[in-house]
Amino acid sequence: MKQIALYGKGGIGKSTTAANLSAALAEDGLDILQIGCDPKHDSTRMLVHGTWIPTVLDLIRERGDTNITVEDVVYRGFGGVRCVEAGGPEPGIGCAGRGIIATFQLLERLDALKGDVIVYDVLGDVVCGGFAMPMREGYAREIYLVTSGELMSIYAANNIARAIARLSRRARSRCSLGGVICNAKNIEGERELVEEFARRINSRMIAYIPRSRIVQVAELQKQTVIEYAPESEQAGVYRDLARLVYGNDMTSIPTPMEMDEIESFALEFVQV
Amino acid sequence: MRSNPSPSSSSRFEGCTLTGALSVATEVRDAVCVIHGPAGCTHHNFSLLHATNLSNDRGDLPRLLSSHLLENDIIFGGEDALETALEQALALSPASIFVLSTCIVETIGDDVAAVCTKDRGVPVIPIPTAGFLGGVFETGVRNALSAVASLARPSSEKSISANLIGEKNLEYGVDENAAEVNRLLKRLGLPVNLRFVRGIMTRDVSRLGAAAVNILREPALRVVGEELKRRYGTPYIKSFPIGLGGTCRFLEEVGRVCGIDSLTAVEEERAYQTAMLERFDDLAGKRVCFQSPHPMLRGDPEVEAICAECADALGLIIDPDGVAIPSPYPPPVGTAGVGRMLNRWRVLIRERGR
Repeated sequence: MKQIALYGKGGIGKSTTAANLSAALAEDGLDILQIGCDPKHDSTRMLVHGTWIPTVLDLIRERGDTNITVEDVVYRGFGGVRCVEAGGPEPGIGCAGRGIIATFQLLERLDALKGDVIVYDVLGDVVCGGFAMPMREGYAREIYLVTSGELMSIYAANNIARAIARLSRRARSRCSLGGVICNAKNIEGERELVEEFARRINSRMIAYIPRSRIVQVAELQKQTVIEYAPESEQAGVYRDLARLVYGNDMTSIPTPMEMDEIESFALEFVQV
Repeated sequence: MRSNPSPSSSSRFEGCTLTGALSVATEVRDAVCVIHGPAGCTHHNFSLLHATNLSNDRGDLPRLLSSHLLENDIIFGGEDALETALEQALALSPASIFVLSTCIVETIGDDVAAVCTKDRGVPVIPIPTAGFLGGVFETGVRNALSAVASLARPSSEKSISANLIGEKNLEYGVDENAAEVNRLLKRLGLPVNLRFVRGIMTRDVSRLGAAAVNILREPALRVVGEELKRRYGTPYIKSFPIGLGGTCRFLEEVGRVCGIDSLTAVEEERAYQTAMLERFDDLAGKRVCFQSPHPMLRGDPEVEAICAECADALGLIIDPDGVAIPSPYPPPVGTAGVGRMLNRWRVLIRERGR
């Protein structure tokens, strides 16, 4: 079983990438479980044609955590991908991080964490210990950083690299960095910048996903690109990504950049 | 857990902010204290307060209620659980309700103060008491005194009387110490207006601003003294009387603050002290050595001065090989406190002599 997690800045396209990755892997006949770990609970939406599936935490809130079955929390989407949304408290109250921990404990108790590949799609910033849960022992082994060439996105990716480096120092840690996925915004020199960023943090850019209008169109149709435009060039890009990730056995312990280093790095690439 | 923890790791002298606050708030006897947090925070404090009450011959149960938070309340926010606990509290018909926070609710950001602003017919007063913010027992005491004081309105009417501020409700001699201060104030013709806070009712707090002077239990409460001075214009004395000379100076200071001539009172007290010391004339010439009562406590110059003062008055000889006598903690209050301390000294000296 391969367990991977996608982390990156909010709005960078993690969920789109994750959903298309899961869809492409499912096309190859693999059993996929995708878990959205974001209180916004929209990770798997394109896999289930835009429906809002009940979140684990909604169910816990309504019924308590003893009357929940696997069927209540796992929903089949495109290509048989099993979809789970952790959900969270109402915005502005409670503790979403603890919610992620409770979700994982429940999924484990229900024996739901299985399949050929588990894809964890985690919210933008590792704001607290709860959101680092997917990186802990027994969950995701490989982390993929999703970033564009925009600086804020690079900053966020660097922060997550810091969390991976920290967690990998723990004795029984098995989590490491699988690579950097560039989800392009069509900025000049973007590919080179992300490649160099990946190199500097002791990793590599595993895939470059060009910006394509078909992604937005498919989204409006509430589908993944794989399902909506299977013959499109972009679908091919996601299939390539899926095969690269599935076959990837090169991971590393990242060496995050310091703040001043990241700023001078930015200056090298940004055209002033 | 280690069976023999070293003094330096025992945290004997820090304590929990919540416990400090409860030691004050539960002394408003017609109030209910709601502790917003997991049940254990309430249980531990209930046990401690109940045991302390029993050792002071009081059988009544501290009026504590827990909001009984569980994991799901932490994930989704605990404010609803607090609402429910407040309803339970109201069903007990209290004259006021204090709401005390715990570490976990401050961590997840429950807005306790906002929940308390809803009109419920009785005052509902939040007391910030999360221990992890770095506060200790004394922080809780101060926060609670300030919170209870918010029940009183500014008062321009003053009477010739004194308030006792921040008595140590968990100390064994709390009532003896208050009685001693009361005895001394009587020499000046000053009655006690309010024990703030010990064994009072919610309505009593309205008298808080009416005293001519506030007498703080110890200098650590200075910030409370300042706050009450700002709100009610009441001057304060920074500590209960400590030691023989300290007790006379206390009378002089209270007299000065209240515009009362203390000359006679001080003379009478000196004579009273002389008579008290005569009961210990059998100790003259004995060799003693004062030691810290606990390895964690640094030498306190004030306490050392009191020991030296008493040794001098009794004709004791200070000798490193003398009878080991732990210096008092907390220091003795008034002449009566010194008398009780000397009784303990005599027991130690006699035991050694056998």
